[in-house]
Amino acid sequence: MAAERAMELVRELHRAAGGHLPPFRTDVLRQALEEMRALYERNQADVSEAKSGRTDLIFLIRFRHCCLLRNQRCLLAYLYDRLLRIRALRWEYGSVLPNTIQFHMSAEEVEWFSRYKKSLATYMKSVGGEEGLDLTQDIKPPKSLYIEVRCLKDHGEFEIDDGTTILLKKNSQHFLPRWKCEQLIRQGVLEHVLS
Amino acid sequence: MAAAGGDSNGDSDSEEMLLTPAQLIHSLEQAWLNEKFAPELLESKPEIIECVVEQLDHMEANLKRAKKGDLKVSVHHMEIERIRYVLSSYLRCRLVKIEKFFPHILEKEKSRAEGEPSVLSPEEFAFAKEYMANTEAYLKNVALKHMPPNLQKMSLLKSVPKPNLDSFVFLRVLEPQENILVEPETDEQREYAISLEEGSQHLIRYRTVAPLVASGAVQLI
Amino acid sequence: MSDAYFPVGPGLGMEENFFSLDDILMSQEKVPGRAESALPRLAVMLGQGAGSAESVPEGSKLEMPLWLAKGLHDSKRRIISVELPKIYREAWRTVFSADANVVDLHKMGPYYYGFGSQLLNFENPENPEIAQTILQTFTARFRRIMDSSQNAYNEDTSALVARLDELERALFQVGQKGLYDFQCWEKGQASQITASSLVQNYGKRKLAEVDG
Repeated sequence: MAAERAMELVRELHRAAGGHLPPFRTDVLRQALEEMRALYERNQADVSEAKSGRTDLIFLIRFRHCCLLRNQRCLLAYLYDRLLRIRALRWEYGSVLPNTIQFHMSAEEVEWFSRYKKSLATYMKSVGGEEGLDLTQDIKPPKSLYIEVRCLKDHGEFEIDDGTTILLKKNSQHFLPRWKCEQLIRQGVLEHVLS
Repeated sequence: MAAAGGDSNGDSDSEEMLLTPAQLIHSLEQAWLNEKFAPELLESKPEIIECVVEQLDHMEANLKRAKKGDLKVSVHHMEIERIRYVLSSYLRCRLVKIEKFFPHILEKEKSRAEGEPSVLSPEEFAFAKEYMANTEAYLKNVALKHMPPNLQKMSLLKSVPKPNLDSFVFLRVLEPQENILVEPETDEQREYAISLEEGSQHLIRYRTVAPLVASGAVQLI
Repeated sequence: MSDAYFPVGPGLGMEENFFSLDDILMSQEKVPGRAESALPRLAVMLGQGAGSAESVPEGSKLEMPLWLAKGLHDSKRRIISVELPKIYREAWRTVFSADANVVDLHKMGPYYYGFGSQLLNFENPENPEIAQTILQTFTARFRRIMDSSQNAYNEDTSALVARLDELERALFQVGQKGLYDFQCWEKGQASQITASSLVQNYGKRKLAEVDG
């Protein structure tokens, strides 16, 4: 059936629940684009025949055109939804993505992402006085200045506000300024312990 | 202590509004809640943002001068964190809407009459334009330009959904209103008028009360 | 669910959202139809024959995805006609009006509401009844969905959602999120910063890959 390739992309992405980013399928995208080219070429040929009297071909031409539009929609929706997932990564991981995720992105997606990061950084610098305002922080309403955290993996040295450094070692527990650790918690390095 | 509202841009009739810090934070919270619950992007409030940022800077500077270990310090510090949270959450909410509806917001901006206030701050406008250009270029490069000639054009304006102004919102009335026309919900009903009493709460179609949200006569909750 | 991923949702009523993955899957569901005239060389493509030159004879029964039916449908030149899938026909409408709660809308759908609203595009004389039934079905089932989403806390909900259509499942999830957020707040955990669900996902995947 027509547009099966493009549909396969949509199904796969839809199955990846919760904003998870599956690997970019360059090969399937290419196959779908090839299918479109073939449909278009056959239509071009039939259009000229139809013009010279074969009006019985009109419905077939229309059928192929529907398939072309369907392919176009599936491919664009696949690409667009992936951008929305990539956008989410900036907000949840920070501006540097781990390799495991980068492997799932195409070169063009990486480029879109870096432009997005740049626009966002420019915007955040323009609000909130001299230093700007990091909007990816303060996701939850604050209850206390300092919070208790447990280290889930070795992270190495970590500088706190006043210039002192501490060692984030697996299973160690610390009492740290909240705004300093928010991102590490979201990245899964630290765990927020409620007293 | 009084925070001065928005610098007058040479506009002789623009009144300098004076707000106490408490009033300022209250108006930030109002804008924040309205933005959180309205389906569309509301008018930007640059003067509130500017004053809140100034207020935060001012409080932080005070904090630096204060003695260490003073109990007041941590109370003030906490206050700063809370205000910053509301401010961040408010601006974040706006960015999410801008990214969700960018073609429509930019289109509205294009057709805006001179003198009519913009829904976007200049910084948000720059962000929205870049987002649009980046996304358009991406879709073009990866897919559209490899498609047959008659399929290479795609309008983001037609493809990206519009905000649903018919969604329902909860509100509290701040200034009493009369003769608000409500559209019928079923074929059998006719249009009818209601009055909104001060302090009363309602569940209603956003479209019906959008002008009242904009004017500050009702508060979304 | 990631807090920062906002997918394009399905369109409302007779509208589809171009970018919505849900709408694309919904419009892949099949509708029955009939060829009102012979369709030259379409046999293979419509799954009717083997040779690429074969035509579909006039009057043949067809089955095609909704998107294709929408694209080919033409109210002026009726080359194909679109018929109602059986759960939107009168016999089933009677079942729905008797007790909408007993129907397994997942098995019969799973896009009962969305697909049904789309059928209104085809100018069927039964359109008013279809629209009425869809609305009444939703109203009749809504209460139970809302209640069950508010009462299932920390338990396996797969049995509760098994018979729900996709729209109903989404509603159930919204209800569950509200319930969990509220419980979190009551226990004083609303301010707890948590790892991104995206991070957790990738972590799990990595483990799974190592195990495999």
